[in-house]
Amino acid sequence: MKRILPVFFIFFVFVVGGGWSAHSDERPRYYFYNTETNINNFASLKMEFDIYLSNHGSYLLQPFDLRENFEAVIHEKKGDVYLLSSWHLKELQQKRVPLEIALVGTSKGNTTQRKVLSAKKDIVNFAMLKNTVVAAAGSEEYVHSILKQILGKGQETLLKDIKILIVPKDIDAVMAVGFGMATAAISAESGLDKLAMMSPNQFKELHSLGFSEKDYLLIAATLKKTDQQETQLLDVLRKMSETDAGVANLKMLGIDGWRAVQ
Amino acid sequence: MKIINFCKALILLVAFLGSAGFAQSNKVLIVNSEKAVYRYETIATEFKKVLQQNAYQWAEFNLDSHANVEAELKQFIEQENPALIYCIGTQAYSLVHNVAPNKKMLFSAAINWRRLDVGAGTYGVANELSSAQELSLLRHFFPTIKTIGLLYNDSFSREYVETIKKDALASGINIINKPIDDTQEIIGALNELLPKIDMFWIISDPVVLSNKESVQQIFQAAQQQKKPVYAYSDVYIEQGAVLSISADIATIGRQSAGLAMMANQDKVPGGTVQSPAGSMVTLNKCALDALKLKFNQDALDSVNKIVGCEQ
Repeated sequence: MKRILPVFFIFFVFVVGGGWSAHSDERPRYYFYNTETNINNFASLKMEFDIYLSNHGSYLLQPFDLRENFEAVIHEKKGDVYLLSSWHLKELQQKRVPLEIALVGTSKGNTTQRKVLSAKKDIVNFAMLKNTVVAAAGSEEYVHSILKQILGKGQETLLKDIKILIVPKDIDAVMAVGFGMATAAISAESGLDKLAMMSPNQFKELHSLGFSEKDYLLIAATLKKTDQQETQLLDVLRKMSETDAGVANLKMLGIDGWRAVQ
Repeated sequence: MKIINFCKALILLVAFLGSAGFAQSNKVLIVNSEKAVYRYETIATEFKKVLQQNAYQWAEFNLDSHANVEAELKQFIEQENPALIYCIGTQAYSLVHNVAPNKKMLFSAAINWRRLDVGAGTYGVANELSSAQELSLLRHFFPTIKTIGLLYNDSFSREYVETIKKDALASGINIINKPIDDTQEIIGALNELLPKIDMFWIISDPVVLSNKESVQQIFQAAQQQKKPVYAYSDVYIEQGAVLSISADIATIGRQSAGLAMMANQDKVPGGTVQSPAGSMVTLNKCALDALKLKFNQDALDSVNKIVGCEQ
């Protein structure tokens, strides 16, 4: 008993203390996790967003680098707004998590994007990707799922023979092909547009082997039955594109505005 | 009945030897120059994650954990008989090269790998991005920059500067380079160079960066003439560089693992040394705003770290 008491005490202090510190700041939050990038610029993102948000209410951004932690917050069902990829949202909806799209991110007027599998022009079909490296940004699960979708049915063996190299961002993936570190890359179409601007010669050497289905850009989702607090949070998001500071913050997320989905 | 049992035993024996042989041929030995170095340990961790996903076996040898390093390493290599040895850091590579010159080797985190003895059975991932990668990314963030200046020492960096000039030409950027023999020449060289350029590039040159004062001189002169400074490492952000682009260390680990597996299966030519595939970009928003420098806002989603004035 003498041994158990101190252990119990430490456990109690840890659990209660941890819970207290996590909930000590009850300000409404935007919870953010993106399966489509490995940039992990969370300190910068939080700092810039919190400065912006402090001028529009008592709100905070809470970015996550681990999917499990982000999903744990959703399961707490505290309300607030969740910023996540369309792919991730679908995954959660399949698990019957009651999240619904409130806003979708826009970029240059578009709300959707496709992922492209691009390679140098001497790679003329999927079969030539056997035993090669494909570079891509995002979580491994996400990249694997997108590659599977692009390759299509009946390519399970090929999928196993492709080595995926996870890089921090789209632009690294497409450049990896040009510089010979990978045979192909998966990126958003905008990633190829960026390559065309910064390295036209490399861009000319590439061609598209396949595309994923079109999907929304970043999503702002809420748990069903949006309350007043969530409505306010969404309103702040929607108005971000009206100021330079707001747009600069959105650009860090790879979007330039938000649009309601009908 | 005895024959059947004998056959069963034979099949089991063959299966056992076969699996042992398979495991042996896939085994990688990781030799880490110094486990306490965060950079090395991050690389090792990512490397092991990929090996694990692909059912490869590995053993580890950390140089800083052994008193008689050379003898113990030699013994360990003989004992483990790995198919490939992954060396993290220059010290690990040099040592392995001495004690097991006939083993397949892969290196990363080796400073100035071009000075290493890289044979046909050696593979590597460079420690620094190639100048072409840096220039492409630089152009992405600052598309209006046309002329970049740099100082260098001819004995140490001539080849690198020649490569930069060639790559810059392909990117539509003009490089004005000025050689110096001593840090005392820095101020004069900067006074001549800065008025002619849009941006100053700090390259990893041991003469130009030989002491704190020379670095201070560069930033003071650049500030006086309101010229932005781009650097190869984020250590210069604190001193006022607007942007730094370096290799992402976690990617180096993953990339090395991919290369190790390909090398083990002889699917890449011996002597292959790749540039790092991932970049780490730090933007100094404070310096950027002070200079009122035009920055491509669409590139903000490619920035890993933004530093503000309050940091």
